[in-house]
Amino acid sequence: MASIKQWTKNKNILHELIRKNVKTQYRNSVLGILWSVLNPLLNMLVMWVIFSQFFGRNDPLYPIYLLSGNIMFQFLRASTTMSMTSIVNNRGLITKVKIDQYLFPMSSTLSSLINFAFSLISLLAIMLCMQVFGGHSLYGYQILFVLLLLPAFLLFQYGISLFLSVLYVFFRDIKHLYNVFLTLWTYITPVFYKINSIDPNSIAYKVLKLNPMYYFLTYFRDSMYALCNANAGVPSWKILGLLYILGIISVAIGYLVYMSLKKKIINYV
Amino acid sequence: MEQNFSENSEYLLKIENLNMIFKIPTLKFDTLKERVVNFFKGKKNPAKKLQVLENINCEIKRGESLGVIGHNGAGKSTLLKIVAGIYRPTSGKVDLKGNVVLLNLGAGFDMEASAEENVYLNGAILGFSRKQMKKRFNSIIEFAELQDFVKMPLKNFSSGMISRLGFAIAIDIHPDLLLVDEVLSVGDTNFQKKCIEKINSMKESGVSFMFVSHNIAQVKKLCENTLWIENSKVKGYGPSEQICKEYIEYCNSIQKK
Repeated sequence: MASIKQWTKNKNILHELIRKNVKTQYRNSVLGILWSVLNPLLNMLVMWVIFSQFFGRNDPLYPIYLLSGNIMFQFLRASTTMSMTSIVNNRGLITKVKIDQYLFPMSSTLSSLINFAFSLISLLAIMLCMQVFGGHSLYGYQILFVLLLLPAFLLFQYGISLFLSVLYVFFRDIKHLYNVFLTLWTYITPVFYKINSIDPNSIAYKVLKLNPMYYFLTYFRDSMYALCNANAGVPSWKILGLLYILGIISVAIGYLVYMSLKKKIINYV
Repeated sequence: MEQNFSENSEYLLKIENLNMIFKIPTLKFDTLKERVVNFFKGKKNPAKKLQVLENINCEIKRGESLGVIGHNGAGKSTLLKIVAGIYRPTSGKVDLKGNVVLLNLGAGFDMEASAEENVYLNGAILGFSRKQMKKRFNSIIEFAELQDFVKMPLKNFSSGMISRLGFAIAIDIHPDLLLVDEVLSVGDTNFQKKCIEKINSMKESGVSFMFVSHNIAQVKKLCENTLWIENSKVKGYGPSEQICKEYIEYCNSIQKK
């Protein structure tokens, strides 16, 4: 009984934290919500124009390849960097009321979902434009594959977020280290290049294959392709299974770190 | 179940042999760089043990109130935070049979968020859904006299306004035990008077208080018993009238020296 009560309570707190995060995010901008649609849209247009000149000139679907990879990575970047400081930034609450600290990275991760949704809408809008220009058709129900992917991706991000937010309490400089790490991570993930342009026997290829983000991007791209081409086929169920395993491993690691350092947090924030 | 149990028991809060030791690092390392550099330099960072509370025993009966007095840094606020469940005691038992709200300065607010958002967030932390808080919202804002500032971020509020909001939320929730940590001293005289009246009427309706204050007259008026903490130990515990008298005599004797 007590645990159900605690669960509803935490659900309510999470709800309020997300609301607050989203509201404070848009409070200071004049265009508000509109800006969060325009921003990814303009960014995507720039990337489309620039990168199409260098890569994949022969591939009509290259813009989709590039943009879908980019918004997935952007989602990870935004949610984890926002989560990292979330426990420390809420020290005013932590030291004054009884609250489970894991709720802060959780709310930050979920708040980033909104920006991702806006980016996804922009991507779909661009795909619609391409249909006009490139003769592709756009199918509807395949968008469901994205919905299948999202819980796994959120779990994956939450695990990293929880881990980082707890670590940040003790080591404030990991903020800079993580930034460097993210840059490295972006380059070892096939965001703008393609994995089949690399020699399968090279070390680089093996590193790429060990990178969890590669699989998240692959699944997301395959579902985007399925959306604009009926012959593209259903994205691999095997990969989807793998994504859920990755998500669960990530949360398990984050949770272990959280549980082992939980009691110390309040003395260090 | 819980309800029946609490009615049968005669006390609301019982604290037994409570000890609280903070381990404070002598040097503050909070970056990875410092840790690594000091590791190679061979510098150690021994944690200094600081006993904040030593062997505290007290209890509050249902409907009764307890005053907590003592000099700054004696451990009063830490005691309240332990009762509220924010800190875990190093050893000892805290047995609480009911729900509890801690009221202190800046009472768990997010300074970037507006008064409205903070009311809902605080409500959620105290276990109330948005729907339940919506019904209470108007009376909270009205009691806090903040009708014109509902949408304003809390960072623009004065400390008096913030404590008014915290107090208004806490009294609307109707907890079994309300922990009050010197919040009344910041409000203006009118609001203080309003709070005291409200506290009295809540006391009559059966709410217990644990009241940290430097205003001895207030403690005497509101609390049946008083706990006097000096240098993390209990220096006196008993009827307020007597303990407060001893405390004032003690303060005077220190001043003379």
